[in-house]
Amino acid sequence: MDNHKPSKDLFVPVETTESENEKITRPSLSFWQDSFIRLRKNAGAMIGLAVLIVLGLMAAFGPYMNDYGQYEQDLSRAKMPPKVEGLGWLGMDGTLSDVQSADTLEDAQTKALMRFNNQEEFITTEVLNDGSNGEQAEVRATYDVYGAKDMDENFWFGTDGLGRDQWSRTWMGTRVSLYIALLAAAIDMVIGVAYGGISAYYGGRVDNYMQRFIEILVGIPNLVLIILMILILEPGIMSITIALAISGWISMARIVRGQILKLKNQEFVLASRTLGAKDGRILQRHLIPNTLGLIIINTMFSIPSAIFFEAFLSFIGLGLPTPMASLGTLIDAGFDSLQIYPHILLFPAIIISLIMIAFNVLADGLRDAFDPKMRE
Amino acid sequence: MTRYIIQRLIYMVITMFLIATLTFFLMKFLPGTPLSAADKLSDEQQAVVLEKYGLNDPVPVQYFNYMVNLAQGDLGISFQFDNREVTTIIMERIGPSVQLGFQAMIIGTIIGMLLGLVSAIYHNGIMDYTSTFLAVLGQSIPSFVFAGLLQFYIGVKFGWLPVALWEGWEYTILPTISLAIFPIAIAARFMRTEMLEVMGSDYIVTARAKGVNKVGVVFKHGLRNALIPLITVLGPLAVGLMTGTLVIENIFAVPGIGEQFVKAINMNDFPIIMGTTLLIAFLFIFIILVIDLLYGVIDPRIRLAEGE
Amino acid sequence: MKKTNWLLLVLALVLSMFLAACSGGSDDTSNSTDDADSEETTETEDTSGEEGEASGEQVLNITDSAEIPTMDASLATDAVAFQWLGSTTDGLYRLGENAQPEPGIAKDHEVSEDGLTWTFNLREDAVWSNGDPVTANDFVYAWQRAVNPDTGSEYGPYMMGGVIKNAQAVVDGDVPVEELGVTADGDYTLVVELEKPVPYFESLTTFGTFLPLNQAFVEEHGDQYALEADTLLSNGPFVLTEWNHGEGWTLEKNQDYWDAENVQLETINVKVVKETSTAVNLYDTGEIDRTGLSAEFVDQYRTSDEFKVEEEPVLFYLKMNQENEVLGNVNARKAIQMVIDRQSMVDVILNNGSIPSVGHVPQNFTKHPETEEDFRELNGDLIETNVEQAKELWATAKEELGMDTVELGYLGGDSEVAMNMDAYIKDQLEQLEGLTVNVQSVPFKERLQRDENMEYDIQNSGWGPDYIDPNTFLNMFVTDGGNNKTGYSSEEYDGLIEKANTELAQEPVERFETFLEAEKILIQDDAVLAPLYQRAVAQLWKPYVKGVITQPMGPDYTYKYAYIEGK
Repeated sequence: MDNHKPSKDLFVPVETTESENEKITRPSLSFWQDSFIRLRKNAGAMIGLAVLIVLGLMAAFGPYMNDYGQYEQDLSRAKMPPKVEGLGWLGMDGTLSDVQSADTLEDAQTKALMRFNNQEEFITTEVLNDGSNGEQAEVRATYDVYGAKDMDENFWFGTDGLGRDQWSRTWMGTRVSLYIALLAAAIDMVIGVAYGGISAYYGGRVDNYMQRFIEILVGIPNLVLIILMILILEPGIMSITIALAISGWISMARIVRGQILKLKNQEFVLASRTLGAKDGRILQRHLIPNTLGLIIINTMFSIPSAIFFEAFLSFIGLGLPTPMASLGTLIDAGFDSLQIYPHILLFPAIIISLIMIAFNVLADGLRDAFDPKMRE
Repeated sequence: MTRYIIQRLIYMVITMFLIATLTFFLMKFLPGTPLSAADKLSDEQQAVVLEKYGLNDPVPVQYFNYMVNLAQGDLGISFQFDNREVTTIIMERIGPSVQLGFQAMIIGTIIGMLLGLVSAIYHNGIMDYTSTFLAVLGQSIPSFVFAGLLQFYIGVKFGWLPVALWEGWEYTILPTISLAIFPIAIAARFMRTEMLEVMGSDYIVTARAKGVNKVGVVFKHGLRNALIPLITVLGPLAVGLMTGTLVIENIFAVPGIGEQFVKAINMNDFPIIMGTTLLIAFLFIFIILVIDLLYGVIDPRIRLAEGE
Repeated sequence: MKKTNWLLLVLALVLSMFLAACSGGSDDTSNSTDDADSEETTETEDTSGEEGEASGEQVLNITDSAEIPTMDASLATDAVAFQWLGSTTDGLYRLGENAQPEPGIAKDHEVSEDGLTWTFNLREDAVWSNGDPVTANDFVYAWQRAVNPDTGSEYGPYMMGGVIKNAQAVVDGDVPVEELGVTADGDYTLVVELEKPVPYFESLTTFGTFLPLNQAFVEEHGDQYALEADTLLSNGPFVLTEWNHGEGWTLEKNQDYWDAENVQLETINVKVVKETSTAVNLYDTGEIDRTGLSAEFVDQYRTSDEFKVEEEPVLFYLKMNQENEVLGNVNARKAIQMVIDRQSMVDVILNNGSIPSVGHVPQNFTKHPETEEDFRELNGDLIETNVEQAKELWATAKEELGMDTVELGYLGGDSEVAMNMDAYIKDQLEQLEGLTVNVQSVPFKERLQRDENMEYDIQNSGWGPDYIDPNTFLNMFVTDGGNNKTGYSSEEYDGLIEKANTELAQEPVERFETFLEAEKILIQDDAVLAPLYQRAVAQLWKPYVKGVITQPMGPDYTYKYAYIEGK
């Protein structure tokens, strides 16, 4: 074993001077500067931010990109499938198709044509199973809706049950839903974090009463409160805001409280307190930042809940007045025709998912960026 | 500790009393009467019918009577199901909801925690992105859309499982999966965040430096850290799921309590609204107490009792 | 029936639908009496050529939209309860094919000359499922119970008050319940005294509130009566044998039924299913034999052989509150009547076979007593869609009122198509220049409250018949009528309705013609309502289900003559 001992000759002491010893090689950065630099380095977060900006721009300008208004009805063009030139391979070719089966091939053909009102010149049929193998004959009919209705202009996202342009409605709806998302986040961050933080940090009697208050809020059925609100409030953005403010922050308050209960007896808090830090400073500088990861994650759950809570409110008449749209109400409406006209649900669902994915990726980036432990 | 628990139980009674009182008076402001043919009956005829339910008494008298009966465990009889006891109705309907909620919570928690764990271990790797993507999808698409798709594809197109109804265990699978998606997303996201937090902490670095393998360390030390936020979120969520969800119950034709409750509110069936509210409130308060007690078990440094 | 309970309809799409009945339902009654001891067999011999043969397992699997609220006939108020009461209990008469009353417990009846005394002769072979005979006393007990204030019945006072002698006085507690104008003359003769001649009383006796009750049984079970399958008695074609609250129930053929030989179905399994898509999926996988279709599904299934559309005598219309300054103007109301394109509405939004409504009595509901012409056909289209004329009328109205812009609230419905319907009507009405319509959607009970207090401008409303007579639609709008709530008051109209129900009560032809005249005043002259549509329902029925009859009132379906052929 001895011969494995490294020779002392391999090590040479570094020549250092007193001044170099104290020199700060890294540029001095504030917490925020540092966080921002790290955020910029995070590719995922940047992509998320870019997606959000694009969606925001589309929400702002999308409705003006075609000639249809969001409320413009025309029952003769109801439930048109989406059509975008050049995106036919994505299924956005403006056709509907359906498979019909019958005992004989002929019957199946007839039914396939009947399915689309016998407008033969706009229907192409394809035999999937001619019935010769003893099974039912199956024919797929593909119907060129735009041709049949002599429609020159395209509906990029199709139309809904009243012939309203789904593209305009989706982007108008995105505006509302983005507002709801920001509102929910703000309520969580302000009321939820403060309530939970104060309750846990002061503990004892304060915590006891504050938590009992939460229990009462949770205990009274939301629906009863909301129906009572209908009697007092006009439906609209204001009533949505109030409804969210009443109950939107409870889960956040509980989580922050749990986390701070855990943290407040740890050494670094004790140290800070020993050094004479005031309660407010300990909460703001030590406890909340260490809870940030959870706060961000929980906010990400509050946002979709709030978006669908809004849809529910609209459904029972407390949300947006008819005929305004939000992504939530569009998804609700699209669910009814999920099996037959999936496009009505599809686009709002894609956009809400994009919003959520972008928010999440960005939030993860923010979490990493603001995490004091991640500082290099 | 015992003193603390007794103290909390006393608070529980007070809180329940306050909830019952508040709900009772709030409901008195709900529009309309519980009569289903009220628009056809003259005021005199309505009064005759309302007399039977004691709804002609002044509100304070009604409140007093209700509280006296409640103290004796009598929740009264339903208005929409004439003469049926509220207790019986709740007992009939709570079973399926609890079963679905329980199954969904178990599956959701296990799968979610595993996903979160994998995410954390392979931080910023392809596994992390995949599982994050799945979790975000689970949180942004409402469960009824999943339910509709599952029913159509698994039930109708492939015929693997029953489409709907409530006739045996296989009938619970699709609703359970639909309900589990949200807990999966929650558990996965919280697990990942907490794990990442732990993995950066000094004691894990130390443990790893000592040569303990990565998964072992993360599991052993990380889990305890992740538990506090997890039970904080999942506890109330479990109560929510087990006390019924209107849409999933409707889609799968489950005779659960969620649908019953919403209908009771629409029909002004006060005794059922009160009974169900009290049950749900009790479960929430109970679970919050359990969670508070668990905090102390998970992390002995946490002290909740006053004056300690 | 009731003001269409919108909320139940939402929950209840599946159930509220009707079926195109098979052809020879009622032939069963007359044709199969020859095999009197065939109670056990399901294969009834049948002599009529068009009748199919029951074959295979006689089990019908269907869904209903909601849990049965009650099986107590005195307390029942909604379609689900009346459906299953009607399937398990026979009243004096039951509705047969084409909504014609056919004998139930009553064999026949005589009406006194003044139309005030009805004497029913009851059959002696009818028994309750516990073996007790069904007697006249069961009716006396049931009817007295329905109006007894202690029972707390809602439909008792509503259906009997003003019809049966002293009913209202009993409800009000002025006279003891024994004074009610119904008496048993021996076990098998029932004598009913009426307040006034009621020409439609026979069809009224088929209604759920008039079903008999076995006094001994009901009193034995007290407040537990009719809460579970085993605290129920049946004297009808089926017995409720299993009742899993909230999930479903099972009916089995009643072997002791007086007409058991004509009942072929052995079992009816009912499951509670609220979502249309769920019911359609269950239907597609063969779990159930019938499903309702929403507008979207109609597109998909229209070509199916199993697709059926059945029209219902249920009307939807806009109620206009005449206390509103603008809506008090008849030209404004006429403009609203004429501006809505109802054809596109039924074709695209409803898409279930509903038809535009052009009056306030549905088509195929009542016929002229002599010429047999349909009420609707005789009165024709009382309104038409004409946007240009509507705009002119609107301009006149604005001038008369001295207004330039008008804002009206619109109290929306809450059916499954409500969102689209409300948006559409708003859009249509706003074609009138200067009109802004604010859609208000509120919970069901709040809607009733606002209707009751007349706190609305325009309201989407619906009405289904309580009995088969134009009166059920037209007497709603007499001055201060309980269901008027539009502020409409016309001496001429009140006079006509009053006349039809008093001096002309015994003169069917003049009475009918009076109703024709009244409808014209209501819709054409005074434009009290803006008719929208007469509802129809689109359904899928498995081809092996035969003989189910749909009804315009009371139970939606009659399963007595249903059978399964070649499943």
